[in-house]
Amino acid sequence: MFGNFLIGLREGLEAAIVVSIIVGYAVRTGRRELLPRIWAGVGLAIGLSVTLGAILTFGSRGLSFQAQEAIGGILSILAVALVTTMILWMAANARTLRHRLHNEVDVATDRGGLALVLMAFLAVAREGLETALFLWSAVQAAGGGWAPVIGAAAGLAVAVGIGRLLYAGTLRMNLSTFFTWTGAALILVAAGVLAYGVHDLQEAGLLPGLDNLAFDVSSVLVPGGVLATLIKGTLNLSPTMTWLEVTVWTVYVATVGFFFHRTLRRANGREPAQVPAAVGGHR
Amino acid sequence: MRRLALLAVPVMLAGAGCTGTSGAGGQDIQVTSRDDACEVSTAQASSGSLTFSVKNSGTKPTEFYLLADDGQRIVGEVEDIGPGLTRDLVVDAAPGDYLTSCKPGMTGDGIRAEFTVTG
Repeated sequence: MFGNFLIGLREGLEAAIVVSIIVGYAVRTGRRELLPRIWAGVGLAIGLSVTLGAILTFGSRGLSFQAQEAIGGILSILAVALVTTMILWMAANARTLRHRLHNEVDVATDRGGLALVLMAFLAVAREGLETALFLWSAVQAAGGGWAPVIGAAAGLAVAVGIGRLLYAGTLRMNLSTFFTWTGAALILVAAGVLAYGVHDLQEAGLLPGLDNLAFDVSSVLVPGGVLATLIKGTLNLSPTMTWLEVTVWTVYVATVGFFFHRTLRRANGREPAQVPAAVGGHR
Repeated sequence: MRRLALLAVPVMLAGAGCTGTSGAGGQDIQVTSRDDACEVSTAQASSGSLTFSVKNSGTKPTEFYLLADDGQRIVGEVEDIGPGLTRDLVVDAAPGDYLTSCKPGMTGDGIRAEFTVTG
């Protein structure tokens, strides 16, 4: 039961973190009107995953390994692209927020609002199908006892609870702390998703170097254990990683971290003469 | 515009799903993964769509792989098979020599065995 609990927790954690940040972002930038659409995005992702998962589990047709990898890979890349955009917005927002009236702040124009909704959808959909397949297989096993279902569902519930707590925590922060910390958290999450996407492509044989390991600490950090689960669930890092994964992760963190930091530093430093049109949007 | 874009992803998802589904008439192979054993119901199958139903009868979460005969290239894998669960791996297998592998505890090279797909 505990093994299934940890799998459920791991599958749910990342989505819960990203969604809590998106919701916090919408609330903190005075765009509460986006919330119903954000939740609709989350609901749609859950509904699609659960339905598709049920069809594949109970129907006569299974999804081939290749198709599953392709779906996971495409959604991961889209998710990283969107989250990266959001990180840079956050930095830009932290900058404009200091100098503009609250109602002028919404850097997120209509297009930005849509991006938030899409991001919430993708955060859930990315691991959604895999999670749904896992959950349905637990339901299928219920004939042999309910422990696997209860374990898996409890793991997901705890992940949602952690997301809820995170959201409550972000509401207490002052705005510039909020942007700094959530931005930094998103950089690490996105880097992990990207590295894991590379791992998937290496497994599918589309990228080389699957057996070229940078490190293997699985003797210390037991795969499937509590600590490994938490690290994997939040940062998407594994006890065993290839050189290509580590390189991609490092380059992403360094590059996006640099731009994020630079934008923030400018925000905290001198008075910007003008808010760039590309960021502020004129009304 | 907003609705259209939002619809694009699910449609894409569904599209990717359809092309990847296997037709009926595939072969079912039963796999039982224990903490110290990996029982595969047959070591041979004919080429086409193969469904490995992997049951975890052990105490740790497990994974199952179908590897090319170099033991490196992954032809298919199914992860996160918690204790008590059964999960399917569906692969389109060309004729050739393969290796099956259960990985109880999700670490190491796994418990391997030879598997042949005939033409």
